[in-house]
Amino acid sequence: MKEHLDNCRQAIIDGDAERSEALARLTLEKKMDVLEVIEKGFVEGIREVGRLWEEGELFLPELVIGADAMKKAMDVLQPSLEGGKGGKDSLGHVVIGTIEGDIHDIGKTLVATMLSANGFEVTDLGADVPVAKFVETAADKGADWIAVSALLTTTMPGQRKVIEQLKAKSLRSEVKVMVGGAPCSAEWASEIGADGYAGDAVAAVALAKGKAG
Amino acid sequence: MSGFLDTLKEKVLLFDGGMGSMLIAAGLGEGEAPDEWSLTRPDLLADIHTRYLEAGADVIQTNTFGATSIKLASSCRGGAPDTAELNIMAAEVARRALDEFIVGGRFLAGDIGPTGEFFPPMGLLTADRAREAFREQAAALEKGGVDLFLIETMYDIREAVEAVRAVREVSDRPVVCELTMDRKKKGYFTIVGDTPAKAAEVLIAEGTDVIGANCSITSGEMIDLAVEMRSLTDAPLLFQPNAGLPEFKDGCAVYRQDPEEFAGDLMKMVEAGADAVGGCCGTTPDFIRAVRRRLDRM
Repeated sequence: MKEHLDNCRQAIIDGDAERSEALARLTLEKKMDVLEVIEKGFVEGIREVGRLWEEGELFLPELVIGADAMKKAMDVLQPSLEGGKGGKDSLGHVVIGTIEGDIHDIGKTLVATMLSANGFEVTDLGADVPVAKFVETAADKGADWIAVSALLTTTMPGQRKVIEQLKAKSLRSEVKVMVGGAPCSAEWASEIGADGYAGDAVAAVALAKGKAG
Repeated sequence: MSGFLDTLKEKVLLFDGGMGSMLIAAGLGEGEAPDEWSLTRPDLLADIHTRYLEAGADVIQTNTFGATSIKLASSCRGGAPDTAELNIMAAEVARRALDEFIVGGRFLAGDIGPTGEFFPPMGLLTADRAREAFREQAAALEKGGVDLFLIETMYDIREAVEAVRAVREVSDRPVVCELTMDRKKKGYFTIVGDTPAKAAEVLIAEGTDVIGANCSITSGEMIDLAVEMRSLTDAPLLFQPNAGLPEFKDGCAVYRQDPEEFAGDLMKMVEAGADAVGGCCGTTPDFIRAVRRRLDRM
C-alpha cells in the first residue's frame, strides 16, 4: 500500500495525468481503501505541488499539469465515495466554486475533493461562476453550504454578493456560506456576514462538519 | 532629431508612469476598459499625456495596453470597439499631445500588453493567433505615428517572441520588450518560470533592441534585477517598477510609495547600468518629476 500511495503522490507532483488515472483505476481494481488512497496519496501530491509553488520552486505550467493529474484521478475515484451517493450517510450537500471573474481553481478543487472524501455530497461549479449560479444551484439541490473561493482582491466582493442574493431570495437561513482563497480572512468572512472562513481544505472540512447536523 | 536608439546611447531616457490609476482618478468607470478612453474621452487622455511630458518624461506610452483584439474581446463584453481604429486613435491622441508640447525631442512608444490568454498547458493560445493579434495592433500603432514599440508586462517569453516578430513584420522602428517578474528565493521569475537569462538570450536573438522589466515588484526589489540583467547583456535596458505594494481600499488598489524613495531606487538602477527607467502601477507625474530632477543633476 505504501508504494501505491507514494506512486499516487508522485504522479501528481510530476503532473502525469496518464499515470494518475491509471493508478486511480488500479485502486478500484484492487479494491483498495479509496479514501485512504485519496487522502494519503493524491492529496499529499497536490499539497506538495502547492508547497513548491509557494516556495517559488515550480511555476504555472507545473501547477496546472499537477492539477490536471489530480482531476483525472478524482474523476475515476469520485463515484466510489460514500458522500457522493447522497445517501443517508451523506453529511450534507456543498455547492462550491470560484467566484465570477476569477479562474483560480486548484485550492477550490482540493476543498471539493476533501469534502467529498469526508462524506459530503459536492456540486463543483468550477471557476468564474456567476453569483446567481451559486444561489440557483444551492436552491435546486437543497444544499446545506455554499463554499465560494476568490483569489483576487478584485473578485472578493463577489463573495459578499452571494450572501446578499441569498438574503434577497429569502434563502439565507437555509444555506450556510463559507469563504476561502488567499486574500480572504476570518475578518473578511465576518465583515460580509459569512458563516466562516477556511484557509485550506482541512479547515473547510472541519467547518462543514462543525456546522453540519 | 536623433532617433530613439541613438538618443539612448547619449543619455538615460525617462519613460512615463502609470496610466490606469491616472484614468481612474480622471473618472474611468468600473465597467470601462481603460483603452476605450482613446475613443470616448480623448481630451482627458491627452491631458494625462501632457502632464507626463510636463513632469519631464522623454517617452510617453500610448493608452493601448489592453488593445489587442483578443484582450478587447474579453474586457469589453458588451461589444469591443474596432481594434485598428482604437489603436490608431490612441496613437494620434498621444502624437498630438507630443507635437503640441512646447519642448521637442520627446518620443512616442506604441504600447503592447499581453493578450491575457495563456499558452498550453495553462490555456489554448497558439503562436499564430498571438502573432496575428499583435500584428494587427502594431500595424495600427505604426499608422497612428509611433516612434517605437514597447511590448510590456510579458509573463511568457513564448508570447513576447510573437509580439516582437509581429512588430518586425510591420515596422522597422525600434522594439523594446519588458518581462514582468517576481522575486523568489532562487531569483527572478515570470509566473510561468521564465528567467532574466532566458529573456536576454531569446529576445535579443529575435532582434529586440531594448529589453527590461516592469510591474509585479517595487523599485527596491527591482534593483538587483537591473544588476543581473546588466551582467547578462550589453543591449540597452529599461526598467519600470511599481510604486510600492498595493493596499486594497474599497476594492481599489492604492500604492503608497514616496516619489523620492522611488526616484532614489531608479537612480541606483541607472548607476547599475540601466539605459532607461520609468514607472508602472501607482506611479504618477509626481514620481516622474522626482526622477527627472535626479537625472538632471547627473
